[in-house]
Amino acid sequence: MKRALMIAVLAALVAVGLAEAKTTVEFWHAMSGSRLKVLEKIVSDFNAAHPDIEVRPVFTGTYEETLTKFIAAYRAGTAPNFVQVYEVGTQTMIDSGAIIPVYQIPGMLGETWDWAQYVRPIVLYYSVGDNLWSFPFNSSTSMLYYNKDHFRQAGLDPNKPPTTWDEMFRVGRELLRAGVVANVLSFGWPDWQFEQQLAVHNYLYADNGNGRAGLANEVTWPDPFSIRVFTTWTELAREGIFLYGGPEYNANSAFTSGQISMLLQSTSSLDGIMRTAQFEVGTTFLPRFPDEPRGNSVVGGGSLWVRKGQSVEELRAVWEFFKYLSQTEVAIYWHKGTGYFPATNAALKQLMDDGWFAQSPNHLTAFLQILSGRQDTAASIGVRLGPFVEIRDYVRAALEKAVAGTLSPEAALAEAAAKANRALREYQELVK
Amino acid sequence: MEAKFPGYRLLPYLLIFPSVAVIAVFLVVPFVQAVHQSFYRTSPFGTTTRFVGWDNYAQIFSTPEYVRSLLTTLGFAGLVIVGGLSVSLGIAILVTRRIRGLGFYQVAFIWTYALSPAVAGMIWALLFDPAVGLGTYVIQLISGYRINMMVQGTAALLIAATAAAWNMLGYNICFFIAGLQNVPKEFEEAARVDGAGVWKTFWQVTFPMISPTTAFLLFVNMVYAFFQVFGLIDVMTQGGPGGATEILVYKLYRDAFIRLRGNFASAQSVVLFVLVAAAALFQLRVATRKAVYSR
Repeated sequence: MKRALMIAVLAALVAVGLAEAKTTVEFWHAMSGSRLKVLEKIVSDFNAAHPDIEVRPVFTGTYEETLTKFIAAYRAGTAPNFVQVYEVGTQTMIDSGAIIPVYQIPGMLGETWDWAQYVRPIVLYYSVGDNLWSFPFNSSTSMLYYNKDHFRQAGLDPNKPPTTWDEMFRVGRELLRAGVVANVLSFGWPDWQFEQQLAVHNYLYADNGNGRAGLANEVTWPDPFSIRVFTTWTELAREGIFLYGGPEYNANSAFTSGQISMLLQSTSSLDGIMRTAQFEVGTTFLPRFPDEPRGNSVVGGGSLWVRKGQSVEELRAVWEFFKYLSQTEVAIYWHKGTGYFPATNAALKQLMDDGWFAQSPNHLTAFLQILSGRQDTAASIGVRLGPFVEIRDYVRAALEKAVAGTLSPEAALAEAAAKANRALREYQELVK
Repeated sequence: MEAKFPGYRLLPYLLIFPSVAVIAVFLVVPFVQAVHQSFYRTSPFGTTTRFVGWDNYAQIFSTPEYVRSLLTTLGFAGLVIVGGLSVSLGIAILVTRRIRGLGFYQVAFIWTYALSPAVAGMIWALLFDPAVGLGTYVIQLISGYRINMMVQGTAALLIAATAAAWNMLGYNICFFIAGLQNVPKEFEEAARVDGAGVWKTFWQVTFPMISPTTAFLLFVNMVYAFFQVFGLIDVMTQGGPGGATEILVYKLYRDAFIRLRGNFASAQSVVLFVLVAAAALFQLRVATRKAVYSR
């Protein structure tokens, strides 16, 4: 009896010892709502498959809050092993001196890794020169969501959503005239939709090749095209077609509850919208100005950044998790659960072979949009600015003022540009 | 000191040490740091720091935003303090009358204080959601006018101020009830006998009698309107639209934590400190002196 007890105690001690040999790495992220559940499932599956590693995910608020908390924690020496940062924070992270560029990690662990396996526009966005600095995770782009039932009620063809801004006016007026809705269109992430319009028409946002060839000195707006975008949106608002719905995902509820018929929003909202909407959801490319040049919609969402100054074991644990994320099944699970792009070409092929895109064409829209656009100009790849979070804040305020009629589109943009240029100048002085 | 603690010269200092230490660590040190930082500019990750002298302060006073934010704050605080206190006093007078169901009304009016400003903000944000809000709908039914607080600055400011005042109602009413109950009934009766009407009785007798309560509430509401409404603004408008509800304390937060300009925000916090300290001193000097404490 005594001996049996001894053995049990010893066994327990060994088990505890083994458990303590686990490498624990902390992961801060900003995935809320339906995305949170999908992410937590992926992490717990990973932990179950790797008894020696424990990835501990911590939800740290919105993207903005997560970045701020990471910065504060880094300065206090309590930062997590890796963190999800939205695309806006990319240049800030690159200049931070606080991270290990991911392309260096396999080499540090004596491994090699094929970076060409990731979907091209994502790699381009997060690369400095030819090297990928952050790990592709949740990439999205913007597209047009529309309510097919509303189109039918207004006597419109539900398979002919507006493709140009002129058509947006026409369709919007039809929907208003038919009394289907009081307002037709709203935006998610309005500041980002402005970026999208510039990129879709191959216009730069800032000098030095959108801040990709070197730190940007100035934003390139207000120029005739950006004023055209703002004027179009202001006119849509004046006619009651466009209803400004606030930042981030605030406008989603208006769309899913049928108060409006169309929404420009990130692809990452796709699954949330399809689950809540009580109508047939259609998706299509972003509306364009047909007489302007063609560019591409840009990548949004987030990527994973690895903190500098961790032990080899920790780094290995983080890297194992990254490799797990790149596995085809995991990437597919992430895509199907959220609407984010699967990051690898292999996952994309598998999804196609499985007939997933035929079964759920809305999941294909953003892919077709971004893969059919050009990828050879800085304007179409995306913007990278140090104080980008701040600049977006100014752009959003400018749009709010223009739509409310407090300032003319041109004056609103000029006001935001002055602040943006001040921010760029200050950033340069500090980082150079 | 020594007279009260004979033989223990150091004991009194030892006894107040914990309080002084807490104040020093959590108030004085951060304040000194803020003043220090307001003369520098640091990159987001703190890798480079440059001395910029008075530049942060110069930016505060050379950009129209700060003045605008100051005016917004004053307007907001005015609405919350004057509007909120008037309504609270009115309700407090009503619920101290002898009416049926008095206890129910008193509790019903006080409970709003149980909500945190953030929760109150959430309720009002949902009420006035431009697309699905009940408040938006009712106002459109009555007036035919569609409010969109995501776009209309004035509407957003009014709604936020109303929400803030509403959240504070319970607290104010509570104190006013206590104040009103302390006014001896004989005074009012005497005034009545002398032929004063209800209105005159209130202004000549009751209002001066509750002036200590009013002075106290003025101070508390000022601190509330300047600082504590942060959560409410964050939930409801995030300072928007176009900065229309960006009150000083919220602007400071956005500059520091969203726009990552910590030093500029430090300078703002020093300015805000001076402003509020001046206002508080003024209130303590004027309002408190005018209040009638003795009977």
